[in-house]
Amino acid sequence: MAFLTTAPIAWDRVADLNRRVSQGHCGAVVTFIGVVRADQDKRHVIRALCYEAYPQMAEALIHQLIHEATTQWALRGAQVQHRLGLVEVGHISVVVAVAAQHRAAAYAASQFLIERIKRDAPIWKREQYDDGASRWNVGAAQLVDVADPVGVDHADV
Amino acid sequence: MEVRVRFFATLRDAAGRDECRLVLDPGAQGADVKTMLAECYPRLAGLIEAARLAVNYEYQPWEAPLSDGDELGLIPPVSGG
Repeated sequence: MAFLTTAPIAWDRVADLNRRVSQGHCGAVVTFIGVVRADQDKRHVIRALCYEAYPQMAEALIHQLIHEATTQWALRGAQVQHRLGLVEVGHISVVVAVAAQHRAAAYAASQFLIERIKRDAPIWKREQYDDGASRWNVGAAQLVDVADPVGVDHADV
Repeated sequence: MEVRVRFFATLRDAAGRDECRLVLDPGAQGADVKTMLAECYPRLAGLIEAARLAVNYEYQPWEAPLSDGDELGLIPPVSGG
C-alpha cells in the first residue's frame, strides 16, 4: 500500500486505517490526523495547501520509519497516508495510525512517526491564499515567493 | 560518468526545470555537483546551501562518492505534514 495519495482522505477512511492496524493482539490504537489550518498573516489567509513530493524517496523513507517504529515499540500495525496535491482548509493532509499492546508504546510510536515524517520526508507544501497568491512553505516559518503564482490546479506530484 | 539531478519545490522554480543531467569526472562527489549547479544556475546558489543531498533515494552527505547512473535529488527544507 502506498503512503502517498493524490485522492482526498475522507474521515471515514481514517476508521478503515484504524481497523486495518488494529487487527491482532493490540490493546491500544493511536491515530494522529493532520488537518489544514486557516493560518493567516498580515496580508493573507490560507485557503488551501498544495503538497508535492519526491515520491520514490518519500515512499522509501516512510517505509523505513515504519520499520524502525515497529521494531522499537513492538507495534502490531502501522499505517501512514499523506496527501499530495491540493488540500483545502479543514481537510486531512496526513494520517498516522499505530497499534501496540499498550498505550505508552502507541503514543510514543505515533509521535516518532509524525515528527520524523515532518523532519525528513521529501514533501513540500505551497500555501494558497484567499487572494490567489501562493508561496512555498520552507519549514522554519520562512516563506518564499513563487515566481508565477498560478491558480489552484497546480498539483504536480 | 553521468548522473541525473532532480529539483523540487523552491529549487525547481529557481532552476526553471525539474531535472538535468551532468557529466562528471570519475571520483566526483556530491559537493562537485553543488559547485557545477551553482555555476549553471546562479539562482540556485543560495538555495543549494540550505538543501540536503539524496543519492538513489537516500540522504547522503555532500562528500558522498558518486557513480555513473546515480539519481541525485536536491532536497530543499521539507514541509510535509
